[in-house]
Amino acid sequence: MAARVERLPYGIGRFSAGWIVLIVVLLAIVAWGIFAYSRQFVEGLIVTGMRDIGTMGGSTWGLYITFDVYFVGVSFAGITTAAVIRLLNLESMKPVARMAELLTIISLILAGFSVLPDLGQPIRGIVNLFLYARPQSPFYGTFTLVVAGYLFASLVYFYLEGRRDAAIVARMPSRLQWFYRLWAAGYRDTPAERQRHDMVSFLLAIGILPLLVTAHSTLGFVFGLQVGRPGWFSALQAPGFVVMAGISGIGLLIAIVAVIRALLGEQQRLPLPVFRWLGNLLMMLIAIYLYFLMVDWLTATYQPQEHEVKLTSAILTGEFAWMYWSSVLSLAGAFLVLFVQFVVRRHSLALIVLSGLLVQVAAVLKRVLLVVPSQVQGTLLPYTPGTYSPSWVEYSVIVGLFALGTLLYVLFMKVFPIMEVHESEQGG
Amino acid sequence: MPRYGMVIDLDRCTGCRACVEACKVENNTPTANLWMYVFRFEDGQYPNTRVWFLPRPCQHCDNAPCAKVCPVGARYKRADGIVSTDGERCIGCRYCEVACPYGVNYFNWQEPSGNYYMDWSDPDLRPRTNGQTPPYRNPDLDRAFGPDQRRIAGGGRQKGVIEKCTFCVQRVERGQQPACVSNCPLFALHFGDLDDRNSEVAQLLERTSSWRLLQEAGTRPRVHYIGGRPPAAESHQIEAAKARV
Repeated sequence: MAARVERLPYGIGRFSAGWIVLIVVLLAIVAWGIFAYSRQFVEGLIVTGMRDIGTMGGSTWGLYITFDVYFVGVSFAGITTAAVIRLLNLESMKPVARMAELLTIISLILAGFSVLPDLGQPIRGIVNLFLYARPQSPFYGTFTLVVAGYLFASLVYFYLEGRRDAAIVARMPSRLQWFYRLWAAGYRDTPAERQRHDMVSFLLAIGILPLLVTAHSTLGFVFGLQVGRPGWFSALQAPGFVVMAGISGIGLLIAIVAVIRALLGEQQRLPLPVFRWLGNLLMMLIAIYLYFLMVDWLTATYQPQEHEVKLTSAILTGEFAWMYWSSVLSLAGAFLVLFVQFVVRRHSLALIVLSGLLVQVAAVLKRVLLVVPSQVQGTLLPYTPGTYSPSWVEYSVIVGLFALGTLLYVLFMKVFPIMEVHESEQGG
Repeated sequence: MPRYGMVIDLDRCTGCRACVEACKVENNTPTANLWMYVFRFEDGQYPNTRVWFLPRPCQHCDNAPCAKVCPVGARYKRADGIVSTDGERCIGCRYCEVACPYGVNYFNWQEPSGNYYMDWSDPDLRPRTNGQTPPYRNPDLDRAFGPDQRRIAGGGRQKGVIEKCTFCVQRVERGQQPACVSNCPLFALHFGDLDDRNSEVAQLLERTSSWRLLQEAGTRPRVHYIGGRPPAAESHQIEAAKARV
């Protein structure tokens, strides 16, 4: 029975029937996404719903760019939360840290994978970026700061913060013992080591926070610096990206933490105050974004330029109005739900999760509204207004990416403790 | 080094779109790709209407937003002012296309073979051509141009890269005019060295007042318009091209 005592925590390595079904379903969806992409790879982007701006009346960027922005946005959650927990020394929030960091890393991988199918020459895309990259292009910041710098910093942080738990689980006999030993890399969690570790993590957290703002800003600059597209050219674009990234990221993190809490039955380690803290952070970010929306709305309607009028009316009252008002309503709704709980000082897990999910709707719709209308309704020369509706290939690739992300998350949960291992759980 | 530019006389343009056809034949562009396009506008309310025309090639801007945003330098401005696309370097991200205020970029959404202006191997066409195939594939387009020898004329087409008007670099480097200019029946289009005071374009710009498209965007286009006026909010496009792949 000694083996029973030394079972790895959080169900690592144990796959029940439910988990296997989940993994098989996810694998099937990923396979479908790969099949859809293979059609595009062979036949070209003709199988998407995208077409040229101008005489063809299309949108040359579509769902792929929309979800690239979404995934990069979601990545905000993890590393911010983790860094803030470290900097403010929030002991009660520590169980969330790794879940958040993992969300960052996976969403950054998904962001890379969603920009790749947007390229007409994906292989050349990877090679030429190393050979000919130009820092003058706003894309350069996306590739260097976001994909390379941000992802790399997140991985380092993730690795360092995981060493303690790796050292603990490495003491227990399991098939993955070699992996935990490798991860721990000699770290034994002695007081001296812990002090050095805390020091490094603290400095890294300080370094990551400015990187976070610049990385999300560069993605905003991809749009905000373009004078040729009405609705894009705005100094508010970069800060708006940072805040919306925070909203979508924290919102999704709340939902994920709630799911893990239910799956692992960890109500004790993930009590309501954890969600309250995340909910309050989300509430503040939504408040800032609602302010940005007001500023944007006033600027766009008070004395707009001729070209902006067409676009603004398409968004506020025209064909995109349902999208705009749905996103505003879901943001305002999420804010109200959180604010009322904040005022009456009584929080409900279900309501916090609800607002976390509501803002996902807003996050996706706002990105569609950014990318598409400025192309189909935003031509400066009087071309006939265009249309864009994504094809089954685009939908399949995006759904496949979500499945891939979930799969990576689930698999990680089965090989490594998703939360800090508690002292009492340290086996023999 | 010449400073190439174009002057378009809107008072002469009758909107016949011969330049559009000339461009398609010379550059062998894929279906629905209109490197040169002519807007047909109707202003005013019936019966007080005025119909007018606006040819729209690439503006070959001096401050080209497309070249600025290209992440790999496939879109670049040559010393003589031609804004070029290196089809062998382009990764197909289409950032140039969203950055361009004029909508002149066209992406190869599919393999362009058999998708050109005219498929001469078409059996229906055989009886008329006596089986003779004209130079369907313009060999000039495959060549490398300029001191840096880059293939910028759009030849050797492949899917997944961007294309646009090249000012017919293959003709200009031979001392000829771009195809649209040569083919205009009313001499509405003019091309030449803006720095040469004796050139037709320089003389035209000296004699008459001119304007450029969307100057407020700060792009400093190399295409100058004389006569007519810029399109305004009330300019309503009629007979728009419906070509879409």
